[in-house]
Amino acid sequence: MMKLRNLKFALNSAWQSFWRNLAVSLAAVLSITLILILAGVNLLVGHAFSQVVDGFRLKVSEISINVADGTPLQAIYDFQDQLKADPRVASVKFITKEQALLDFQADPNNAVFAQQIDGNPLDAKLEVRVFELKDVAAIDLLGRRWAGVDPTDPTNYQGDFVNRMLELSSWLGLAGILLMAILVVVSVVIVMNTIRTAVYHRRKEIEVMKLVGATEWFVRGPFVIEGIMTGLIAAAIALSLLVIAYQPAVERFHSDLVFIPLSYDPTFISSLARDLLIGGALLGALGSYIGVRRYVRI
Amino acid sequence: MVLTPDFDSRPIISFQHVWKTYPTGTEALRDINLVVPEGDFLFLVGPSGAGKSTLVRLLIREEKPTKGKIFVEGIELGRMKRRQLPHYRRKVGLVFQDFKLLPNLTIYENVAFALRVLGEPDDLVQSRVADALDTVGLSGKELTYPANLSGGEQQRVAIARALVHAPRFIIADEPTGNLDPATAWEIMQLFLRINARGATVVMATHNREIVDLLRRRVVAIDAGQIARDDRSGRYHDEVTKPQIRAQ
Ligand SMILES: Nc1ncnc2c1ncn2[C@@H]1O[C@H](COP(=O)(O)OP(=O)(O)OP(=O)(O)O)[C@@H](O)[C@H]1O
Ligand SMILES: [Mg+2]
Repeated sequence: MMKLRNLKFALNSAWQSFWRNLAVSLAAVLSITLILILAGVNLLVGHAFSQVVDGFRLKVSEISINVADGTPLQAIYDFQDQLKADPRVASVKFITKEQALLDFQADPNNAVFAQQIDGNPLDAKLEVRVFELKDVAAIDLLGRRWAGVDPTDPTNYQGDFVNRMLELSSWLGLAGILLMAILVVVSVVIVMNTIRTAVYHRRKEIEVMKLVGATEWFVRGPFVIEGIMTGLIAAAIALSLLVIAYQPAVERFHSDLVFIPLSYDPTFISSLARDLLIGGALLGALGSYIGVRRYVRI
Repeated sequence: MVLTPDFDSRPIISFQHVWKTYPTGTEALRDINLVVPEGDFLFLVGPSGAGKSTLVRLLIREEKPTKGKIFVEGIELGRMKRRQLPHYRRKVGLVFQDFKLLPNLTIYENVAFALRVLGEPDDLVQSRVADALDTVGLSGKELTYPANLSGGEQQRVAIARALVHAPRFIIADEPTGNLDPATAWEIMQLFLRINARGATVVMATHNREIVDLLRRRVVAIDAGQIARDDRSGRYHDEVTKPQIRAQ
């Protein structure tokens, strides 16, 4: 009961303080909003990029081992069994020469070229999917050493490219985390500053509270709530702006950067909302917590 | 020479060889020894800069002594943890020269404030605030704001606020400093009445007429030291003062 009354007092007090220092409060809300928008864009781009990378990962975790013409079927099955027994391998699929040609002809991209070919120049192949991307190189080596491999065009493995792509994606992830860290520090400092102003405006009240025997956290509570409120308001504004801009932005970039399969993902909005609101509240709480510990002493 | 009156009742406050040197190097208090029995009414007098407010600030633990110990109800203030400080201050009623009212709150809310910060329930707040305002003679002014009151009335509000949580002792630093003589006298009557009800009162003051009229205990501080401690004293030392004039 008593705690509830204190909470009521703190909420009231925080709300009053927010409006009393409207200019400072709004400046803080705007700054945090901008920061959260940056963070939100960071999250959205990160999400889009991770979708792209996931697709890419799926594609490159598969390798085709081309079979030389005339290799006995039994030899192919033996090798297929050997691959299947390998713990790194997820699946192995045998594509015959005929099937390879059919697949080739079925692809509309190849339509013109397909009409011009005589007979069947395509190899039969084993499509091997591995569990982990890093094992592709080993399977590639296994394939190249196999007696039945087509020596002129052994596999479709692209070597270094894969690793470089993965490296790039982890660097981008790191850059994202670094950007987030900087944003967190900046917003904490901004909230601290607002709290300092609020404390200054309420110094008389704080002095009186101290003289009548208010506990330290009774005095500090309203400021922490004010900080959380600032963070939440900023998060709400940032979220609405991001939600409004998300789809048009994706469409815009989609036509500019066709080679990157960016896509609008409405399911991501709810997780973005959760992240931004929790993030805003935490930033506000952290900034004001540090602020009151520094500026409100009894 | 320091006189410590030998009262029968137990001490509520005692200073033992208390020194206070501010970080600036000012020696505000030097070797203060003082015992205040429960129910006492004590005037702290002395010239400006003598150290009266410093003594008050030590008493409410806004400052810590540089040396020596201060006991209040047997508890040493210097050993009190920060967490215990609010609970200690709730036992004390404080009144200052500048009233320290909150201008954006009504009279009622200003007095209620002292109970709200303790998280007291509304009905208790209501009856206690009504009692306190009645004691200081301000019933009917509940919804007024401090700016619309005279200095004397504002000080009454401050006193009501100091009384509302029924403190064991009242500390006042020049409570009549901003008031005209008639109003000062009224405020002083209020303190006497509070003292008569059992609260211990320690008051720093420059008000010579009132001190001389009331003939209560007077502790004179000069340059950070207790110069005089009379059980029924005057503002100026009757013996030495004429001598100083004669020199
Ligand atoms: N916070 C402080 N920092 C440094 N010096 C201080 C501080 N407060 C007071 N002093 C010094 O300590 C001495 C005693 O000051 P104090 O305020 O206790 O005097 P006082 O007796 O209350 O004077 P007055 O009658 O004018 O109110 C003075 O020399 C003053 O300048
Ligand atoms: Mg003073």
